[in-house]
Amino acid sequence: MVSGTTSAVTCTGCGGALHPDDRFCEACGTPVGAGTGRDRPDDEAGSLPPVPAPPAAKVADEDGDDVPPAGGAPVCRACGGRVATDGYCEECGTPAASERDHFAQSPSSWVGGVCDRGVRHARNEDAMALAASGGFAALVVCDGVSTAPGSDVASLAAAGAALDVLVAGGPEGAARVTGTVAARQAAWSSLLGRAAVAADDAVAASAPGAEPEHAPSCTFVAAVVDDALLVVGWLGDSRVYWLPDDGTPEQLTADDSGAGELMARGVPRAAAEASPQAHAITRWLGPDAEDVTARTTAATVDGPGWVLVCSDGLWNYCSPAPDVALLVREHAAAAGADPTATAAALVAWANAQGGRDNVTAALARVG
Amino acid sequence: MAVFTAEVFQNEFLPQGSTDVHAIVTLTSQGAGSADTASGAVAEIIMVDTSGSMSGRNMDAAKHAAQVAVDQIPDGTWFAIVGGSHVAQRVFPYPNAVRDMVQMEPGARFEAKRAIASLQPSGGTAMSTWLALADRLFATVPHVPQRHAILLTDGKNESEPRQALSGVVRAVTGHFQCDARGVGANWQVDELREIATALLGTVDLIADPDDIAADFRDLVQRSMARGIADAELRVWAPQGAQVLFVRQVSPTVEDLTARRREVNPLTGAYPTGSWGDESRDYHVAVRVPSKPVGSEQLAARVQIAVGGEVLSSGLVKARWSDDDSLTARISPEVAHYTGQAELASAIQEGLAAKAAGDEATATVKLGRAVQLAQETGNDEATSRLRRVVEIEDPEQGTVRLKRNTDRLDEMALDTASTKTTRVRR
Repeated sequence: MVSGTTSAVTCTGCGGALHPDDRFCEACGTPVGAGTGRDRPDDEAGSLPPVPAPPAAKVADEDGDDVPPAGGAPVCRACGGRVATDGYCEECGTPAASERDHFAQSPSSWVGGVCDRGVRHARNEDAMALAASGGFAALVVCDGVSTAPGSDVASLAAAGAALDVLVAGGPEGAARVTGTVAARQAAWSSLLGRAAVAADDAVAASAPGAEPEHAPSCTFVAAVVDDALLVVGWLGDSRVYWLPDDGTPEQLTADDSGAGELMARGVPRAAAEASPQAHAITRWLGPDAEDVTARTTAATVDGPGWVLVCSDGLWNYCSPAPDVALLVREHAAAAGADPTATAAALVAWANAQGGRDNVTAALARVG
Repeated sequence: MAVFTAEVFQNEFLPQGSTDVHAIVTLTSQGAGSADTASGAVAEIIMVDTSGSMSGRNMDAAKHAAQVAVDQIPDGTWFAIVGGSHVAQRVFPYPNAVRDMVQMEPGARFEAKRAIASLQPSGGTAMSTWLALADRLFATVPHVPQRHAILLTDGKNESEPRQALSGVVRAVTGHFQCDARGVGANWQVDELREIATALLGTVDLIADPDDIAADFRDLVQRSMARGIADAELRVWAPQGAQVLFVRQVSPTVEDLTARRREVNPLTGAYPTGSWGDESRDYHVAVRVPSKPVGSEQLAARVQIAVGGEVLSSGLVKARWSDDDSLTARISPEVAHYTGQAELASAIQEGLAAKAAGDEATATVKLGRAVQLAQETGNDEATSRLRRVVEIEDPEQGTVRLKRNTDRLDEMALDTASTKTTRVRR
């Protein structure tokens, strides 16, 4: 008699059965070998540390450990066909998106986001962590610096650590932020600063013993919506836009980048963003960072609109706030104003423009 | 318990705009065991040329060889002996016997050898009748999964038009496997190659009749050592892709492309016959629509299936990159077997041109063969080529045709042209 090889390997993420050839769990997408140190020398990423799957979106402070999505065979993101156990579509051969390469979070009906590998990059070094409860939401995006190995692990750890700090100030958190608008703005600014520090610690902890010049690093941006108060903090060039339905759209963050510094010195945006050093970020999180003090700013939500938190993979294709407002409005209209669907549409749009970088778009519908 | 493994050798990186993906897939079986002869799962037919040309030493040697083969057939194996001239006749079981095939046991072995000893050479040669009779005999044991035949001749298929042979070969393809052997220098390599290729067997030249017995012993033993009756190669290619070719490249070059049987619209199956513990290499080429730089795409699943069950699968990938250092690499396995396949056709085309008196073409083709044999390190091919051409410069492929070559040397070169060497790893 004849038979194929079988063995009883189980997924470290969800405990589901794995086929020996699987690179990713069929049920939850966790990479095979995650957290087990199992050596896979034939894998091109074999020398890199295993990348954990991103946690599911957190609702308030409820701990969202790796929750596998509801069952059923994985569906191909390109053609809708079935993804086989070997990790590729049975119809068109497109590789299954691993959870790390493409994930969406929808912590509430008014908050959602999508984080995607893009087209040209081999790994998704962007990370996103979202939470919402009542009139509170926290949206964190970290963009790993692709020249440093392990930045995909680091950025995910950073975003998660930052979100934990912010959720602690939310309505169900241990240190709930209350008081007057001014008091809450001060408290959130302080928490955003602590969130950046916690994220920085998480980056360092993700690669213990790494040489500083090879240490992973990432950007940090977070937006907190506290009813009509919007407070943001950042290091690097990931952005927050406030896009009111009526009123003037604004980019609330100012990039810590070559382009940002030129613009601060009065160079027009188009010229600054076309300069050779435009994309070199001047501040970041990581063992080789000199200063991890997040800059913060605040705005008042005085009418309905969108808060967009995004990485440069999106704004590279659409940067000025009025253009971003038009882009979001157009896609929101097509997506029935659902934040996650709109974010997915924005990511798909960026990929259609070339997807030269990882793309993250997180949205809160406010007012 | 047989276990198959699939290994894929390729450069998956393609430059922008590129569409063609090539890979060598090595399929290896382990623990195949030997054929289950005791329970009657194997049938063997030996076809011996009894035409007039066999008279004398060839007939004596062939009779001896058939008897040796009968000795090697284990008890329980269904078997029959066919004598072939311009007609075919069942030699054993005796023509008046009720059954067309019987299971081997000591009494049958004794009688079969006696029947073989009484063979008398006469008449012409029409091999289609031999194959058709073997097919009818195998059809009487439809429950037997593993069917193997040996065909021995010493002459041309002169008593019928070539189309008659080709037609029967097509008709019996897939019903049984057949190794074809030619003794001496008066048979046609292309005739036996057509039979052996279609019937998933080997073709070989036996220069000296005294060597037939050893060869037959070897063939029967090898057939009985194949514990997997029938395996098929399956090639899946994605929607919108085109399978350019599927070629076995080791141990011999056989183009399988035209033998595709559809499993489903995206998957084709190609017969590979029975397997022992062994390794075979396949070259698969697939054309996929180009994708943007950075994209990854599965270009083919190359699988081995037994009884409809896929036992192992190799993944052939395509990844578009703008990094020249990745896309410019040439897979040594793909390059090696591309050269070996071209070597086989250069030898066959060169010898055909020489036979037709077209010396210019023969010189160019055989020169190219010398060059390819040198490049791919096929020393056996080089030494066989040396008997047919004078090699002036192996690297440039400059040769002169030898005068008064031995026909046996040309036939040896021709029959062995499809044998490949493996990549030195």
